[in-house]
Amino acid sequence: MPGDRADDVRLHERLLAGDDDALAEAYDRWSTLVHSLAMRITADHAAAEDVTQDVFVHLWQHPDRYDPHRGALRSWLCLLARSRALDWVRRRRTQDRYHAAAAAIAPMSAEVDDGVVCQAEAKAVREAVAALPDRQREAVLLAYYRGRTYREVARDLEIPEGTAKWRLKAALSGLADSLAAEGILER
Amino acid sequence: MDAHADVSDMLGAWALDGCNDTEAAAIQAHLGECADCAAQAERLRSAAGWVGLDRAQPAPEKLRRSVLAAARAVRPPATWITLTNAYADQVALLDAALARMSPADWRRADSRHGDVRGVLGHLAGNDALLAAELGLPAVSVPATDDGPAVRVAWRTQADAVLAGVAEADPGQAVRLAGPGQRPVRTLHDALVQRAFETWTHRDDIGAIYTIAPPGQIHRIVELAVALLPGALRVSDPASADRAWRLVLHGSGGGDWTVPAGAARVEVTIGIDAVDFTRLAANRRSPRTLPHTVTGDHALAEAILRAAATLGCD
Repeated sequence: MPGDRADDVRLHERLLAGDDDALAEAYDRWSTLVHSLAMRITADHAAAEDVTQDVFVHLWQHPDRYDPHRGALRSWLCLLARSRALDWVRRRRTQDRYHAAAAAIAPMSAEVDDGVVCQAEAKAVREAVAALPDRQREAVLLAYYRGRTYREVARDLEIPEGTAKWRLKAALSGLADSLAAEGILER
Repeated sequence: MDAHADVSDMLGAWALDGCNDTEAAAIQAHLGECADCAAQAERLRSAAGWVGLDRAQPAPEKLRRSVLAAARAVRPPATWITLTNAYADQVALLDAALARMSPADWRRADSRHGDVRGVLGHLAGNDALLAAELGLPAVSVPATDDGPAVRVAWRTQADAVLAGVAEADPGQAVRLAGPGQRPVRTLHDALVQRAFETWTHRDDIGAIYTIAPPGQIHRIVELAVALLPGALRVSDPASADRAWRLVLHGSGGGDWTVPAGAARVEVTIGIDAVDFTRLAANRRSPRTLPHTVTGDHALAEAILRAAATLGCD
């Protein structure tokens, strides 16, 4: 088991045991990551804070939902952040107050905040996404930011469903390789 | 097409929650039996989480505190459950002792508070100080000869505190109970103090010495050691800021150097941990308490005198 994952196992055990210092550690390590994703998807400061709080409270309340043998905790938190952020976007859309420009799919400018923990990771992800073939990137960003199913992706892009599935898989596979090469994901 | 190929094709969509429920259920079932697909699924799903990280945007600093408080409110930390249980246990033990008391027992003399009713009224008053800090209802102790009525008032106050702290933030700042300057500490420390004082007065009332569980002893001595430098500054300013070491023997004990990490100490005091809690409660005198001193005897004396001022009397 890789070193990071062994850390996850220990942290997870402490969370299960009700050790709130373990939650504080998880927050200190990954709150920037979670908040960055929430901010990117919701484009709303208050929503991003709510999502960040939801994610860590969920981790504390239901540590059993995370299985350290099936992935790194930080990747699990990323997915949870995205899912909660999309829920918020969908609620806003239902309320008809959400304007599509908020969660623009177009990449943000490359400016980065100074001295923050996940700056290097953000740079690596940005570059990995940019390096994807255009059609794969288009499909994966639609699914990621808009929460589109593969059928909706197919319809939006006017491509066969099988092609949509393939592009999503190829895109994530390419990203997984790039992120593993950068040490963000395990190989 | 076989199930394996179908699932494998769909794993990218699945990793982004982009399948319908029927498909997702079929994929979950297949992942349980196919190690290849399971490994691939894990890899794609791990990657999927990161897609949106194109820029680091740290959460505002104030969010940390509210997240941790919200978390503790939905699931109290294990240490907090232990602590609140320890206080609840002491309340139950004292209540059981009071239940056995005859009218004559209630009038038994006490050197500090007149009689047993006075002891209990004093304890309820200190419990009420914490209740006030937390914005909980304060129960006034009736001025009466009726011991059982005083017992009900104390118990009502203690129960209000217990109910109030169940979902409170252990890290919140409150003033401790005490006769003089009331130091500002965490609610955690205030609850250690409540359990300690309740235990101490149970012994007063029964005119006995009982022994608290080692975990409670340890929390008490940790708090006492943390408060000791401040007490020493008040009782003997000349001895403040000197370096010393306290070695508390027996279960619940430990080894403390003050200030923490000091390279050289001027004196090391060795003492039994339970005896030290009695000293901190001012129920034993430094003069009669068995202890060892290695180094500066005058400083040791000043430290032990300061320790005896830590209680709520």
